[in-house]
Amino acid sequence: MYLAIREMRFAKVRYSLIAAIILLVAFLVLFVTGLARGLAYDNAASIQNMDATHFIMEKGSNHRFTRSEVGESLLYRASASAGEENVEPLGVKMTTVTADGTAQKLDVTLLGMRANSWLMPAVTEGKAISPQAPGEVLVDRKLKDTGIGLGTVIVDQASGLKWTVAGFVSQESFSHSPAVFLGEDQWAQLQRKSAAGPKAEAAGGTTYSAIAVKANKTLANKLAAALPAAEIVTKSDAVSAIPGYKEEQGSLWMMIVFLFVIASFVLAVFFYVVTIQKTSQFGILKAIGTRTAYLARSVALQVLLLSTASLIVSVLLVRAMEAVLPDGMPFQLQLSTLALTCAAFILMSLAGSLLSVWKVTRIDALDAIGRAAA
Amino acid sequence: MRHRLILRNVTHAFEDGGQRRMILDALNLQVAEGELVAVMGPSGSGKSTFLSIAGALLEPTSGEVLLDGEAIAGQYKQALSDMRLRKLGFIFQSANLIPYLKVREQLMLVAKLGGMDKTNATERARELLRELGLDHRRNAYPDKLSGGERQRVAIARALMNDPAVLLADEPTASLDASRGMDVVRMLAEEAKERGKSAVLVTHDERVLPLCDRVLYLENGCLLEK
Ligand SMILES: Nc1ncnc2c1ncn2[C@@H]1O[C@H](COP(=O)(O)OP(=O)(O)OP(=O)(O)O)[C@@H](O)[C@H]1O
Ligand SMILES: [Mg+2]
Repeated sequence: MYLAIREMRFAKVRYSLIAAIILLVAFLVLFVTGLARGLAYDNAASIQNMDATHFIMEKGSNHRFTRSEVGESLLYRASASAGEENVEPLGVKMTTVTADGTAQKLDVTLLGMRANSWLMPAVTEGKAISPQAPGEVLVDRKLKDTGIGLGTVIVDQASGLKWTVAGFVSQESFSHSPAVFLGEDQWAQLQRKSAAGPKAEAAGGTTYSAIAVKANKTLANKLAAALPAAEIVTKSDAVSAIPGYKEEQGSLWMMIVFLFVIASFVLAVFFYVVTIQKTSQFGILKAIGTRTAYLARSVALQVLLLSTASLIVSVLLVRAMEAVLPDGMPFQLQLSTLALTCAAFILMSLAGSLLSVWKVTRIDALDAIGRAAA
Repeated sequence: MRHRLILRNVTHAFEDGGQRRMILDALNLQVAEGELVAVMGPSGSGKSTFLSIAGALLEPTSGEVLLDGEAIAGQYKQALSDMRLRKLGFIFQSANLIPYLKVREQLMLVAKLGGMDKTNATERARELLRELGLDHRRNAYPDKLSGGERQRVAIARALMNDPAVLLADEPTASLDASRGMDVVRMLAEEAKERGKSAVLVTHDERVLPLCDRVLYLENGCLLEK
């Protein structure tokens, strides 16, 4: 501590530069992580926002909402087994709509649910939909940019159904397309119009994509036993199965991992060069009786101080950046992610200092004196 | 009389390109407390090697080194570090101060490593710096000091932990004649006053009158002339 701090005080410029570089690396790591998390959230926001813990899907649907089809009979049996209040039907359909009177096509995902369902998101502008006003929908705020406002009529290209925008919700999307929330009756109409599948006819009612459930582990097991024909999928599995999600996250993870690897390599080399420059100083310190362990600790501590300080500043910078980022650029850095990334960064810089510590242990007092006297 | 530094039959050979070169050959030396011994000899005769062995920086091929009665041979690295810290004071030719520590911090570091308590250390550092005429420079960094001042700081640092033995390798080489004389005079005084055994390697004939004994390193042995 004694040495580490005094050295930084003495060579302020040099250590400020080092800190600046660590700061930039830390900023990059945090920023990319934030963007990756942002994209991940944006991709599946609507599903992530739901209070459900599990989804009941059709067997063989590969956990995909868009492939799964469940009928009303399954819904009744699920309600009977898990309790009515814990079960909500959910319809998911990706489609193309146009705002009435314009030619512009918009890719959206229709999410059908009961108007008073706990799946229904909070309205940020306008009013909620109710069974008394059929034909009204809630849409994601992002659609505002395309000229849709309260009262705009949108037309589904596939079914020709028309809906009126009653309100906006924020941060609602599925597979990166903005979400449109329909009431139960509209969803039923939609199913009928778009030539319901053979199963629907067999079941003689509306079909949904999945049944959202609030359940703990025991209840989930009970459901699985009660509904052998269906599959109980956890929320995270369902999210992973959203088209494109896994691939996108795979690439982003790759980027983050490489960023970490490269950053630790850069920092390691950086510290190493600084340490080599100080070889003769370490030699003198050893010659006058400083233990190697003390010097090694001092080097590691210095790295720790520098990276912690840089990290704190870069967290502030990232937060500032987050505030000025446009809406269309999803960015999300939750406290837990932030803490994890910071911990990883500190670990990484400590790993980077290992090379220097090793070098310090290898310095021979005698060599250093020979060099100093030369 | 107590001998705080004793070398018995110290032999050292370097392997150099497959060839074995005997540098020190059954060298014997005893330095009494309060005594300053000068060691002279042609370049390459092994003076620095001898000093490194006496200073626990280099293990001899064979032979025994006793510091304050304690043998160096067979000690672990940490124990050797601690010995250098507590029993030895080194003064090198140059560049032996830590560039980022102020003069008084150079001394405080040694005290801290040696586990001296802070008030004692502060008091002792002040006293040493006053004695060596460095009181007004105590908050200066080494790069702002003259060569002579730097060497005096090195002496003060070497004395800080009250070591048994002082070892100086050409401490006057970078100084002018009168400064060189001052430095050696201080070494001699410190050795005498504090009862230390001191060895000074030098090429400078002018400082010899200040030393109690003058030895010449020739063919691996120390001879009196
Ligand atoms: N690590 C080493 N490996 C091989 N030979 C060495 C090594 N260190 C020193 N020598 C050789 O040992 C001899 C004595 O070296 P040393 O440095 O002790 O001489 P010196 O008397 O201090 O010389 P100078 O007056 O020039 O400082 C020299 O010939 C040197 O080349
Ligand atoms: Mg020499």
